[in-house]
Amino acid sequence: MLSRIIVYLAYFLKSSKRYKNSKLFFWNLLENQDSKLKSYFDFLMISLIFLSIYFLFYDTGQQFSVMGGYVEICIISIFIIEYLLRLWIYSNTHEIIIKDYEKALYLNIKFNLTKTLIKSILNKAEYIFTPYAIIDLLAILPSYRPLRILRIFLIFRIFKLFRYSNSIRLYSDILVTKRFELLTLLIFTGFFLLIASVSVYIFEFPENDSDIHNLFEAFYWAIVTAAAVGYGDITPHTLGGRIVAMILIFVSVGIVAFFTSILISAFNEKMPELRENKITSDLERYRNFIIICGFGRVGQEIASHLAKDKQKFIIIDKNEHNISLARKLKYLAIQNDATRNDVLLSAGINQGASTILCITGDDVVNVYITLTSRHLSKDIHIISRVNRHENLSKMYQAGANNVILPFEVAGLLAAEFLGQPVAFEAILGVLQNRSDIGMETILVTEKSPLDTQKIEQLDLLQRKLTLLGVISANALHLKHKNKYRVKQQHFYFNPEQHFILRQGDMLVILGRKYSIDHFRNEIEKQRLRAKT
Amino acid sequence: MKKVAIFGYNRVSFEAISRIDREAHDIKVFDHKPEHIEQALDNDINATLLDFKSDECLRSIGIGDDINTLLCCFDNDSENVFLTMSARALDKDLQIIAIIESPDASEKLLAAGANKIIDPYQICGHKIHDMLKRPDITDLFDQTVFGRNDLHLAEVEVPENSFLQGIFASQLELNSHYNLILVGIINKQLSDQMHFVAEEVDRQLNSGDILVILGPSREIRAFKKDVKDEYCKI
Repeated sequence: MLSRIIVYLAYFLKSSKRYKNSKLFFWNLLENQDSKLKSYFDFLMISLIFLSIYFLFYDTGQQFSVMGGYVEICIISIFIIEYLLRLWIYSNTHEIIIKDYEKALYLNIKFNLTKTLIKSILNKAEYIFTPYAIIDLLAILPSYRPLRILRIFLIFRIFKLFRYSNSIRLYSDILVTKRFELLTLLIFTGFFLLIASVSVYIFEFPENDSDIHNLFEAFYWAIVTAAAVGYGDITPHTLGGRIVAMILIFVSVGIVAFFTSILISAFNEKMPELRENKITSDLERYRNFIIICGFGRVGQEIASHLAKDKQKFIIIDKNEHNISLARKLKYLAIQNDATRNDVLLSAGINQGASTILCITGDDVVNVYITLTSRHLSKDIHIISRVNRHENLSKMYQAGANNVILPFEVAGLLAAEFLGQPVAFEAILGVLQNRSDIGMETILVTEKSPLDTQKIEQLDLLQRKLTLLGVISANALHLKHKNKYRVKQQHFYFNPEQHFILRQGDMLVILGRKYSIDHFRNEIEKQRLRAKT
Repeated sequence: MKKVAIFGYNRVSFEAISRIDREAHDIKVFDHKPEHIEQALDNDINATLLDFKSDECLRSIGIGDDINTLLCCFDNDSENVFLTMSARALDKDLQIIAIIESPDASEKLLAAGANKIIDPYQICGHKIHDMLKRPDITDLFDQTVFGRNDLHLAEVEVPENSFLQGIFASQLELNSHYNLILVGIINKQLSDQMHFVAEEVDRQLNSGDILVILGPSREIRAFKKDVKDEYCKI
């Protein structure tokens, strides 16, 4: 009967959405490295730990304070709740039960509840014995009055900080990656210290004025000497003891150097990863940034423009030389292969990146990056570079929104310069926003005063604006002549005076920037006035 | 008819050749590498093998004589610099346009006497930036003026004794008479800069002024013809 109820409960939990959601929420809060919640929670816990440590020392220094007591209770309860929550989200007990139950059902044997329960309890115990869990527990236990002796373990509250700070965690990670080297060194050092302390004990102990009274003191002296600390509280007086000291000092110099070099090399190996972590965490704060794949000549040119616009962007390039150049210019840069999914994902293709530029010098690579990006993100805007004309259609097939051919553009410009050098230079200046003459679009929005107006009513001549045309997808305009296809829309060049504007149309206007702004402001004002 | 000499056959010059208006320009293509000549012939472009290092050869094809414009499209910057220097020595008024590979070459080419430098990478970078910042306008121009659509920019000089003389720019009303848009005016007496109609106070046209117009090629041709015709009146 009891087993039936428990199995029923397990199934109920499995099907309950609310249970799942709450578990997910706490997982995000406590364990998920990428979640925002965790960073807030970590910060809160770090402050709580400091607060509790402060009251702890305040307590030991002065009389028992009431305030401190309440704070302690509060903090301890938070710690306990946290501990239990972590225990809860560590594994899914109901899944273990269901699995066992279904297995029993399948094999047609009797479902053994006790066995399953033991299994799930063992599973939870697995968590209890992880280092972090032990630290957590030790930080809580000493507050329980009968266990006041364990007060020294309150120091574990400080160790609890490990949990919430990535930099400390990283340090321990490094130690873990180098555990083989460190262990070898530790064993060697241990042996050596043992030999040194035993020999110094043998030489010194029989002397009358000896500082060394037992083996422990000899060991203590050996460590103090080996670490080049040398307090001088214990000194060897015999010739033998001094020779041991000299050998110990020479060897320990080697050991310290070896130890330092292991740590440094481990940090060096970890450095690129660290930097990347920093970049990705920086990126998470941005919205609408641009990913630039390839930092060659074209990439450098774009990056300099984007930096001027204060637009955020990230560079991915395989070439070390290019990356060091980018870092010198203080751009965010990842040295990695942009054709790999995980690289693009960590660059944030699904998190806030609005555009990706595939502009390496190699068409094959560009097509591949384009394909990968389109596969990873349906909505991202992709601009790609192609060097050979025959690859143009492949690039569109791969999913690029815009494709640019550097050599064709250069050839085209050369041709235009031949034909009308001055005019072309001027127009180019306008297009690239170099002069105070601008070419801009004005959108006819909903309820805009421009809606259903005729071109002649706009009074553009008076405003010293030149209307080049209207971009529109509206089928109503199709009867007008002089239309040119531009992507999914039409551009109506030089529209007649009786051309009627519709909502969604875009006027392409050439004129002084401030007169365009003035025009736009006036329209906006009229629109707002009409609303009220 | 302007005479244009293009040196170096490659992707850039191929694109330039296919875009240049053949009616107004007489194009000749030269290269010193036989394999480039063959490629050009494969694409129906009549290229001639020529050693650009010899002044004699340059003179023999008309540099310093009737060639107006020189386009240096060699892949190698040093070759472009050499060609520019030789050509500038032969002809002070020649218009020289050079394509460069590395950005350092730009100063050297200008010092050697080139009038205009085209850096494909810089232009490409600029262009992508435009696509990001002003997608509407960039798309529009890519598809029309820079693209294969029939919408072009043209410069039309006001001849002596033309009916255009003395007329105010606002009186032209090109948009209703010709389906053309007057973008700007180059006043040769003042400077070589173009002034946009939009920024200028209305002014009278003189002979020698150049009108910069935008429109379909048929309308441009019609307008050019009418400008030359003394008796035409708008």
